[in-house]
Amino acid sequence: MSRLGSLIRVGLKANFGLAVLRYRLLKEKKDRWLVPLVGLAVISVLPALYGYVLGIKFIYVVLQPLGQERAILTLGFLAGQFLILLFGLYYVISAFYFSKDLELLIPLPLKPYEVMASKFAVILVNEYLTVLAIVGPVLATYGVLANGGLAFWVNAVVVYLFLPVIPLAFVSVLVVAMMRLINFSRKKDALILVGSLVLIAGAFGLQLLIGKSQGRGSMESLAALIGSPNSLLNRIGAKFPPSIWASRALAGGWSAEGLIGLGIFLGTSLALFWILLVLAEKLFYRGLVGIGETSARRRVLSRVEMSRRVATGRHPIRAVFVREWRIMNRTPIFLLNGLLTVILFPAIFLLMAKTAGGRGDNAVMLRLLTGAADAVPVILAAAAFMIVSGSLNGTSSSTISREGAQFWMSKALPISPRDQVLAKFVHSYLIVVLGIVPSALVLGLALHMKAGRILPAAGLALLLGVVLTAIGIMIDLARPLLDWTNPQKAIKQNLNVLFAMAADIALMTVLGYGSVRALKAGLPGGTLLVLLAALLAALSVLSLVLLFRFADKRYAEIEV
Amino acid sequence: MGGSTPINKERPVIEIDRVSKSYNKGKIKAVDDLSLVVRPGEIFGFLGPNGAGKTTTIKLIVGLLRPDAGTIRVEGFDVRRDGLKSKAITSYVPDYPSIYERLTGLEYLNFIGDVYGVPRRERLERIEKWLEIFDLTAAVANPIQSYSHGMKQKIVLTAALLPAPRVMVLDEPLVGLDPRAAHHLKELMREHCDQGKTLFFSTHIMEVAEKLCDRIGIIDHGRLIACGTMDELKSLDRDSQTLEKIFLELTDK
Repeated sequence: MSRLGSLIRVGLKANFGLAVLRYRLLKEKKDRWLVPLVGLAVISVLPALYGYVLGIKFIYVVLQPLGQERAILTLGFLAGQFLILLFGLYYVISAFYFSKDLELLIPLPLKPYEVMASKFAVILVNEYLTVLAIVGPVLATYGVLANGGLAFWVNAVVVYLFLPVIPLAFVSVLVVAMMRLINFSRKKDALILVGSLVLIAGAFGLQLLIGKSQGRGSMESLAALIGSPNSLLNRIGAKFPPSIWASRALAGGWSAEGLIGLGIFLGTSLALFWILLVLAEKLFYRGLVGIGETSARRRVLSRVEMSRRVATGRHPIRAVFVREWRIMNRTPIFLLNGLLTVILFPAIFLLMAKTAGGRGDNAVMLRLLTGAADAVPVILAAAAFMIVSGSLNGTSSSTISREGAQFWMSKALPISPRDQVLAKFVHSYLIVVLGIVPSALVLGLALHMKAGRILPAAGLALLLGVVLTAIGIMIDLARPLLDWTNPQKAIKQNLNVLFAMAADIALMTVLGYGSVRALKAGLPGGTLLVLLAALLAALSVLSLVLLFRFADKRYAEIEV
Repeated sequence: MGGSTPINKERPVIEIDRVSKSYNKGKIKAVDDLSLVVRPGEIFGFLGPNGAGKTTTIKLIVGLLRPDAGTIRVEGFDVRRDGLKSKAITSYVPDYPSIYERLTGLEYLNFIGDVYGVPRRERLERIEKWLEIFDLTAAVANPIQSYSHGMKQKIVLTAALLPAPRVMVLDEPLVGLDPRAAHHLKELMREHCDQGKTLFFSTHIMEVAEKLCDRIGIIDHGRLIACGTMDELKSLDRDSQTLEKIFLELTDK
């Protein structure tokens, strides 16, 4: 096999961990219980997928008489490529500049473009998985409805394989050039943070744009949006033509139009990729060298300063809490997924509320929240909003995993597992509270909800927060991911975070469904709230007791 | 903690009693029916080829791993049942200094001081002393991320010394240290044990083991194949007069 080929193969193997998974499943028989769980997760996604396919079909039926049906393809590609652009910046920065294996690869007799190409391949495969859910159903539904024939399906596969190349190469060129131009060796954390914030701001902007031009959020309006010549889609499509070329390649099949579209699409992809490789050869290593090193100002502490900074002695629980807090907030990827998410959620909600302007689906929810009707459903909905803002982040469910290779200290130091987990609980719960507070503020200040409704809602959310935090920590205790080299893996690519979110959503669904049934069955609203609060309080105590017991058991079992 | 409690000269400090540990569901025996005793005031050197079970044994002593069979006691405390008590008198330095990169050196030392409950006066005194010796004073306010490998090794050593532990367990402590730091470390190891405290360390450097250790244990394939003072080891084989030759002789199977 060629040098480049084997480099790419090793990169893919190292990143997608097939060897490790196979070893764990077949040899150690450790993660076998994951198989039915993943199966269950797939099955639970099916209804949503079915709904998505129905939506595509509906738009197709509306657009077909107008001869505009291929706009569906354009929209699908556009959405997919936009997603790639969004996630891409993140993936590219971390894969090109912050993966630890670069220290091994650079001294090898490899050309910079070869190293870059192997990293690119890893991101490419990641992106195939990311966009499959968006683009796959569009291609399949369109192909079946339009009776595309062999030409369509062949072109579809080719286009799908090349779909991420243009946006990824585009982002990569930007990042490589940027890394070379500015000496980021001391500001790499700042770079990740600023880059991510720019992306989030971009996503906000788009949300605003769509919200403004959309008006009503129904299927008809979406179809109108796609169909009209001056639509947002055409405007973006015109600025980002690859999605139009790809659509032509598919709709045209092997006709002249189709082949020309395909040719332009593939040609542009390859050209951009080639530019990236040329650029990589010249700039990649020069931007890279020194990025792993953090130079720091050498400042000798005076005796007085040293004496001031040597702590007077915190309680061990507080010491662990301070450690958790500092490491979380100083690691950009942890910060983005923890603290920032809980503030982001209410902010997005605020934006949705402002742009919806009293119509559409958002408005239905707002009417429910602010309406003067029955107070109890309003309180329940507000509590749900608060707890979703506070809990749907990976803080609790990655709390052990985040320690990574440093977990040996938690094992070797004389602090009981209960105390360590208590500190972790307090830290995670603080993040929950930090999500509940801005949510309550949004409800109170922007939507003018009365304090008499916000307060009981916040009470319920705070109680449920205890249960959800304990569940998150228990899930991470059950199977901590400690052998990561890129912090992204501890939180963003950590299945525990997903499992915990699924468990949270399941519990909230059960509670919500139970409450609705109880109200319908004639239970007075006030009684329901009291019962719910009592139930949640009991569950909180129970979950904490279980958490501490489980911590004792697992800290002894986890070996490092 | 620290040296305030009188040290019992009779009782062994570290007792490893018929301990076994295997990986991969019993397929790979890392430590096989190992028994050994380390007495107060002793520097015990633990030698063996790569993969012989040194690190596994050390991790078992400090509670990072659980033995499949047998018991380990530190000052009489079973490390499994009374783990917190044995940990409170033990400091451990791993072979690779994997520590909190996002904390500054001083924040890390304060964390260790808090966890072991080191009073402020002693804390300040010891931190200043060891930072000075290891030439880290200028770097202590910086994030550990900015440290070189050797500096990380030295800050872990400083942290291990901060609680003035009665028992120190060090895995290859000299690797990565510059000659000056290595010299200071050897001095402090001797000093530590002259105060009646105990030190257990693994190494590949025969000269160090020969000069520094009161007793030496050699492990191979998870089994203790020789244990004793330098003189006792020499008596095993008349021709082998250096530890290196004894080691090569014993492990050449």
